[in-house]
Amino acid sequence: MTAKQRTGKVLIAVFAASILVATACTSGGPTASGAPSATAAASATDKPQQGGRIIEGTISDIATMQPVLVNDTSSGRITTLLYDTILIQDPKTGEPVSRMATFSISPDSLTYTFEIKANVNWSDGKPVIAQDWLTGLMATGKSAKTVRKSNFQDIQGFNDFKDAKATTITGVTIDAANPKKWTVKMAKVSCPAIIQLIGYTLPTQVFGKYVTATSKPEDIDTAVENTAPTVTSGPFTFKEWRKGDQIILAKNATYWQGSPNVDEYVYKVVANQTAITNGLKTGELTFGSIQAKDLADVQTVDSVKITKYQNLGYTFIGWNTASPSAVGLADKRVRQALAYGIDMDAVIKAVVFGEATKQVAHHVPVQWAYPTVALEPYKYDKAKAQQLLKDAGWVAGSDGILAKDGKKFSLTIATNSGNQERETLAQVAADQYKQLGIQATARPEAFQGLVTKLTTGDQTLEATIIGWSLGGDPDPYSIWHSSQIPNPATKVEGFGFTFFKDAAMDKAIEQGRNPTDGNCSTAARKANYETFNKILNENQPYNFGYSNNVLAVSQKSLQNFAPAPFQTVYNVQEWWIKK
Amino acid sequence: MRNFIIRRLLYAIPTLIGISIITFVIVRLSPGDPIRFFVFGQRDITGEDIERLRHAYGLDKPIPLQYVDWLIAMVQLNFGQSFIYHQDAFQLLLGRVPATLQLAVVALALQLLVGVPLGVIAALKRGTWSDGMIRVFGVAGHAVPAFWLGLVLIIVFAVQLRWLPSQGMLTVGKDVWDLPDRLRHILLPAFVLSLTGIANYSRILRTETLDVLSQDFVRTAHAKGLHERTVVFVHALRNALIPVVTALGGILAGLVGGALVVEQVFSWPGVGQFTFQAAIAKDYPIVQAATMFVSALLVASYLLRDIAYAIVDPRIKAG
Repeated sequence: MTAKQRTGKVLIAVFAASILVATACTSGGPTASGAPSATAAASATDKPQQGGRIIEGTISDIATMQPVLVNDTSSGRITTLLYDTILIQDPKTGEPVSRMATFSISPDSLTYTFEIKANVNWSDGKPVIAQDWLTGLMATGKSAKTVRKSNFQDIQGFNDFKDAKATTITGVTIDAANPKKWTVKMAKVSCPAIIQLIGYTLPTQVFGKYVTATSKPEDIDTAVENTAPTVTSGPFTFKEWRKGDQIILAKNATYWQGSPNVDEYVYKVVANQTAITNGLKTGELTFGSIQAKDLADVQTVDSVKITKYQNLGYTFIGWNTASPSAVGLADKRVRQALAYGIDMDAVIKAVVFGEATKQVAHHVPVQWAYPTVALEPYKYDKAKAQQLLKDAGWVAGSDGILAKDGKKFSLTIATNSGNQERETLAQVAADQYKQLGIQATARPEAFQGLVTKLTTGDQTLEATIIGWSLGGDPDPYSIWHSSQIPNPATKVEGFGFTFFKDAAMDKAIEQGRNPTDGNCSTAARKANYETFNKILNENQPYNFGYSNNVLAVSQKSLQNFAPAPFQTVYNVQEWWIKK
Repeated sequence: MRNFIIRRLLYAIPTLIGISIITFVIVRLSPGDPIRFFVFGQRDITGEDIERLRHAYGLDKPIPLQYVDWLIAMVQLNFGQSFIYHQDAFQLLLGRVPATLQLAVVALALQLLVGVPLGVIAALKRGTWSDGMIRVFGVAGHAVPAFWLGLVLIIVFAVQLRWLPSQGMLTVGKDVWDLPDRLRHILLPAFVLSLTGIANYSRILRTETLDVLSQDFVRTAHAKGLHERTVVFVHALRNALIPVVTALGGILAGLVGGALVVEQVFSWPGVGQFTFQAAIAKDYPIVQAATMFVSALLVASYLLRDIAYAIVDPRIKAG
């Protein structure tokens, strides 16, 4: 062996050893430059330090910074930081509370009065006034690409404005003596309206020119300020958007609730959830949400803090109660059997590592509409499930498969491919239903195709696993009212793809949404939603599955970070980084 | 030569039109409706809303008419407005090109700077352990999936050792002209993207060098008493590099295409990542703009390769 050959072998050995050592290390390695130390947790009495930068990790770039056009979570986060709203939902309960404006509702629930607080200004120093809220409403009416028009359809005169039959919205009146005060008159009582009337308060000095009598829809839809806002009312101002990479916001030193402690807020786009987890572990990200499968790994990292709270939504198995192929699903007893026959607690452990709560009705426990009356918990009971199936006339044949009137009970559970959690759930559910004697199979398919099938009422779907996000008002009309059942024959589309309807449930939904007595109090609505949830709980058009925990991970150096189910950045001006 | 280039450019037109038709039809016939996908889960969305959006995005016309509209606009480099971003799709795509080109150029440089010497070393050390190692590396370079290697490198060099960043092309807060920082970010993705090329070039160079070294003119050079280094680098390598140079024609387009996976793994904000996300969201204008862009790049690079061939061998031009 020559000297050169020996040197080469030594180099290879050193390289191989370094790789082995590196992969054998635990994650408690040296902290990356700028990353916080493990001992950075501050006490509540610490004085906030100024400066620094918050870097939030996300897997989706924003689409727009125009609130009227927002239709995705990422854009929603950035517009929230740029444009404050007149009201917000309480972070913990979801009920509307004052933000930029105070508000009152008339006893008949038809007139809403708002007044912007005296100290609320735009970043250019001009006061935020009622006209700015009206500019946002007019922008919504003008836009061809917004998905929010129907939110305002009950405001008097909005539909005429939207259809270009009028140049003003008659239901909105600005107080002649007080430019910060206005009233909104509704054409009918609509309890969710107070949340929807939060609307979008846009600087008229910027967007006013796009909502004139002669403006075209594309004027607001393609406004340059949609991608580079010049005047804001929120805790941050726009600095730079490096597309696909990051959005950089600078603190708004004149913010009406006080200048933020940090200098910048960066929304960092990464490719996937694994990249977020890695970024939190290395300290490249200040905060972000992780998946349950990564929790155990992240828990070993000393420099981060994990905050758990319930997600505002749930993952479910929707049964097509009108399926021509899986006819058994039309029978309530069969659907109840499918609830008793799956060990959802075990499924939650297997699929989301225990980081979820079993659901047995539509609303999730953190919503005020969640029923306080007792609901059937559908505890796993295989014998009861078998009995219910037997009562419904499904009897096992010689091959062990359930059959009725010569037809075997087969069931295909579709879900969106690429969603590992749902694919696992479909597989686990199919396996458990096989134990009941049902020929169950899981079928992943492209989400886009699945969405079309669901909303158009495609009868080839027998069972589908997807999820609902329930932010905003708890009104379940668009999902559960019988008018939302799709009909392929008449080309009616909707989210009622279980084809389940019940007159009493319809009435409860209507009374919770448009009460004939005009009573939109939380107590009155809650009573209606209890009726609604009880009917669903009994009839089981869904197996309501589970509601995941949100696993928010932040560096311990980040102070005052207190995310809650309804809000994450509501107090961002109070956040600070302990150096 | 001018006529040759004009002829090849004319051939490119039906090729690109054919690609545009295939892409247009496949994208539109794939399962799912972008508008329904766009509004899924939106409360109180009405049929009227869906029709308005369909009209706003030009999706209410028959597909052949949509194609004609798109083709006429495309000739003027107007690929339409992105469904997601409400901005010009081509401009958005162009905004991502520098990031991908940066990655592709560095990967190309790595392919040549590492692949060529490895091939020459393997040929000169034929039958030794170093030749064996390089050949094993050549096979592994082809066999290892890019996404897997990328994830392993991130775990080792970013998460465990903390030597390199795990994602992106620049540390947050750093100046865009901070070259050392950019270099740290590009190292891992460029290496992963270049691996197949390194393996490829080392294999080609080994074979070609061995072939050239056995030819008469090399023996003559040795017989003239030239230094070994002169024989190898001046006489042999120049000839062995000819297939590599001609193969470079399609390599840039290949790298841009290959960047799709690498950009996803390393959160590199380039064309690949952008197109992948647009395809998932059924953002037709971006998907079509990206497909046409990569196709045009491919056609252009093959044209350059053909020109290079024609220069090397005038018989091709005549044919």
